[in-house]
Amino acid sequence: MKHLRSLLPLLAAIALLLIIFALWVPHGRFLTPGNLMDLAQQISVNAILAFGLTLVILIGGIDLSVGAVVALAGVVCVSVLNAAGPLAGLTAGLGAAVLIGLANGACAARTSMPPFIITLATMLIARGLALGFNESRPLPIGEEQSFILGLGNARLGGWLPLPVVVMLVVFAVTAVLLHRTRFGQHLYAIGGNREAARFTGIAIAGHEIAVYVLCGLCAGLAGMIHASQLYSAEPAAGQGFELNAIAAVVVGGTSFSGGIGALPGTLLGAVIIGILDKGLNQAGVHFSLQYIVKGLVILIAVYTDVRRRKSSVQ
Amino acid sequence: MTPGPEPANFLLELRGLRKRFGGVVALDGVDLDLRGGEIHALLGENGAGKSTLINILGGIHQPDEGVIRVDGGVTRIGSVTDADRLGIRLIHQELALAPNLSIAGNIFLGREPTRYGLLDRHRLVADAELLRDELGLLELGDVGEPVSELNVARRQLVEIARALAGRVRILILDEPTASLSETESEALFGKLRRLRGQGVGIIYISHRLEEISRLADRITVLRDGRSVGTQRAAALDMRQLITWMVGRELKEHYPRPPHVPGAVALSVRGLRGPGVHDVSFDLHCGEVLGLAGLVGAGRTELARVLGGLVPATGGEIAIGGIPVRLRGPAAARAAGIALVPEDRKRDGLVMTRTVGFNLALPWTRLWARGCMPDHRRRDAIIARAVRDFSIKTRSPDMPIGTLSGGNQQKVVVAKWMEQPPKILILDEPTRGVDVGAREEIFELIGRLVSQRMAVLLISSDLPEVMNLSHRLALYRDGRIVCQGAAGDFTPEQVMAELTRKVSPNITTDHP
Repeated sequence: MKHLRSLLPLLAAIALLLIIFALWVPHGRFLTPGNLMDLAQQISVNAILAFGLTLVILIGGIDLSVGAVVALAGVVCVSVLNAAGPLAGLTAGLGAAVLIGLANGACAARTSMPPFIITLATMLIARGLALGFNESRPLPIGEEQSFILGLGNARLGGWLPLPVVVMLVVFAVTAVLLHRTRFGQHLYAIGGNREAARFTGIAIAGHEIAVYVLCGLCAGLAGMIHASQLYSAEPAAGQGFELNAIAAVVVGGTSFSGGIGALPGTLLGAVIIGILDKGLNQAGVHFSLQYIVKGLVILIAVYTDVRRRKSSVQ
Repeated sequence: MTPGPEPANFLLELRGLRKRFGGVVALDGVDLDLRGGEIHALLGENGAGKSTLINILGGIHQPDEGVIRVDGGVTRIGSVTDADRLGIRLIHQELALAPNLSIAGNIFLGREPTRYGLLDRHRLVADAELLRDELGLLELGDVGEPVSELNVARRQLVEIARALAGRVRILILDEPTASLSETESEALFGKLRRLRGQGVGIIYISHRLEEISRLADRITVLRDGRSVGTQRAAALDMRQLITWMVGRELKEHYPRPPHVPGAVALSVRGLRGPGVHDVSFDLHCGEVLGLAGLVGAGRTELARVLGGLVPATGGEIAIGGIPVRLRGPAAARAAGIALVPEDRKRDGLVMTRTVGFNLALPWTRLWARGCMPDHRRRDAIIARAVRDFSIKTRSPDMPIGTLSGGNQQKVVVAKWMEQPPKILILDEPTRGVDVGAREEIFELIGRLVSQRMAVLLISSDLPEVMNLSHRLALYRDGRIVCQGAAGDFTPEQVMAELTRKVSPNITTDHP
């Protein structure tokens, strides 16, 4: 119940945004079932990225490489796919993402380099690999690859987008991992007081590596869905995705200093960012203004969150 | 290597433990033994090597040399898990809790119960409640509460409960009463005695002689990384013990400067602020006013208000008779107050920079006006400080971290002296400073006072504050409970006054 209460402000914000855009978007086109399903579909890639990032930020880390991994996983997946079939393609795409995650985790756990710098570097490396893979050209997905094309575009029962289902599955698995296992409990301990966790005998390095690998895995999955939605793997895809995902995480109430936050908050944070993107677009707001509005919303969300937390401590 | 009188009885034996960190020798031959059902106190000053020793026992550090025997068999404690398996449990001085987790989550951190691979929250809570009731730690309260909401005493109980979950054979406590009230300490002692009765061997680290003499069965003194002697508490020779601790007869040289009080430098009336409730005192030029109080009494809070770091919420501050409002550290400095903070590494120094950088930092307005820094001026400021305060450094360009604790502390004081303040507030100036450097700091205080500076000395070290101060103010719960000439107090009186527990709204007035 306590957890539900902490989500109330986010739910209220979502309700408020839905009302605003229902009134604002011309011809009542916003609050229709079809439009909301589109919205859910558009949210799913960012949400999956944000789930992985929540784990990283929770232990006091950061991963800037996820946007570039979206492109890399897509490019690797599609090029293998067209040659060796869907299973090999998926495996290769996720494998590439995991390798980047592993590199991030190993550097973060085994060296004293700050995660911001590590993942800034791997972001550039992953982007370079994606661009080099097919000489910077997009790789179209063959029309016969119905499985992969379905990943981003199929609608179950004719209305429920498959990416949304995938996103909800990732949410469920990650939520169980974070909130219902010892592993998750230890992540909170590491984020809350690293020394305390160390003194208790928790293997911090192992946990840290696992978290970055999971984050990479999420980014890989998101990359393949994204490629599927574009019908091709774009080496330049995913630019700035990391920032949108970080926005979802912080709007969802996860603290950048670590140890505080929960996965449902991130889901709602991603929904808020998604509604803003789509709503402002449909309301015909100039894109320059869209950026400003989004920036202000992030500031307001995090400010109220910090205020609320401070007052509850005193 | 001589075996003890009854080697088979020893639960834990340490022989010739040595450990160095880089160039610093932390342990230089520690011998210690512990029987089951015994409380063995370990006494030593800051920097005597106590924390290194317990970190070795806890599996966090490995000794370079020496033997650890558990139940008579040579043992290697290679990790925290090894220590855990041996039944060795540590309660650290800085509470090692995750504030964002619940009490139950902290107690079973790393040992959470699971069901089908998933965290079993119901059992986590049930186990914690069971443990709480078994141990009689009822003050722990609701085990679902997050630790961030708890006060220090209850956090301590969480630590204790955590250490006692599962099989405990050797319990090590590091200054457990540092932030507990007398009643809370008594309750803790009761629990430790019960554990002793159950055959647990307890190593109890403290520098509070009085509590050790009541609690412990044997007392070992640690100095400069070496165990210098062990006594049975039943036949305690206090003088011998103190001599062991200090390393010579207890005639430590406190050069109290002659007391020639001048005009009132700082006058405080009814001052209030966070953790400060109604403080009034006068501090004269050429005088040391000692503010004696236990950790947690709110002394540092008072220092922070006077240093302008935290705004006062009420009362008046006058400097040289003129009322001032301290709107920030810069205002306090301009008004003539300099603060030497308690935690010099966090609040007093830029640890990533050099000695010279730190000394010149407060005076950028003298040497870095406009866009052309005056390096000659800067170097002169630094050279003067290094010379006047005999700061021992190979060069001002050495990183500040290469200096000893005592010399770092001298830097924190010296950096204010290019244009000396009228009022100097010293918050625990000898914490983490070795005996030799302490004397230098005492002499420094004496010199500044003879130059008519007014010094407010905040300290929890009774001999220090009683011997250095001209006047003494006893501080408890954010209030000065009693003040007078330092010579009028006996240590026993002071201790009794400081440890007395009163309801927070009653102030005792003394003539």
